[in-house]
Amino acid sequence: MQESQLRLLMFLQDLLSLKKEIQDFQVVEKYEEMGFAFDRKEIIEDSIKEVTEKLDKELYKRFLQLSQKYDRPLAPVKNGVCYGCFVSTPKGSKLVTQYKDVIEFCNHCGRILYRAG
Amino acid sequence: MELKELFSESNIELNLDVDGKDEILLALINLLKLGDKAKEMLFKMLKKRENLGSTGIGKGFAIPHCRSLVVDKLNVAFARHPNGVDFNSIDGKPAHFFFLIVAPPVEISNFYLPVLGKVAQFCKTPEIVSKLVSLKTVDDFLELLDKASA
Repeated sequence: MQESQLRLLMFLQDLLSLKKEIQDFQVVEKYEEMGFAFDRKEIIEDSIKEVTEKLDKELYKRFLQLSQKYDRPLAPVKNGVCYGCFVSTPKGSKLVTQYKDVIEFCNHCGRILYRAG
Repeated sequence: MELKELFSESNIELNLDVDGKDEILLALINLLKLGDKAKEMLFKMLKKRENLGSTGIGKGFAIPHCRSLVVDKLNVAFARHPNGVDFNSIDGKPAHFFFLIVAPPVEISNFYLPVLGKVAQFCKTPEIVSKLVSLKTVDDFLELLDKASA
């Protein structure tokens, strides 16, 4: 269960970043100059809803709380360091030692941690 | 950064032989060195991006792209499909040439949009289609990228 919850959170953050990008007039203008069309922008909301409905309610609440504080509530862990606050994560972290997809929060900044790749 | 620097033998496929838009996306993703979970998530994200508007920019080109947490640096791939595939391109014609561009949400170097722009510009180079059709090796492709950006 936890594995898919972390992946869902990562997916949600990606979708929210995409939403922010396509709401930025200047960025969309750049895309359009390159030849890309955004003719169904509004359906991003459906995709976001689809993901949030699958999330554990408490976890989603925590995600929203973190979103109030940080632009990106999820932060990558690299070499045992949270790249949100750049403080080392605990040595026993399964995310770090076993490459497991588990929900872990940074002890220092509280962000939800993930591994890229 | 020059486009040529981003490509190598491992992320180029000159004889793609799959049918369908999803299969093209999966084949492109497979050219990136990513784990299975990352590939799965990237596929979902690229599909969501395609749903907002096709990245088939016409004249035989498609440039699927997105930002995703599953990568920690800019990743690119190129594939040529000799027969062409329906990619819902803006001109309604099949796409033969595919560039995949994926970047993390935050990059220190901020290459994502400039690289996307360079690839889009490359696709507009005069006579580029006939040159891409006649490519025989990966080195030919790299040379073409080099010449086009010179």
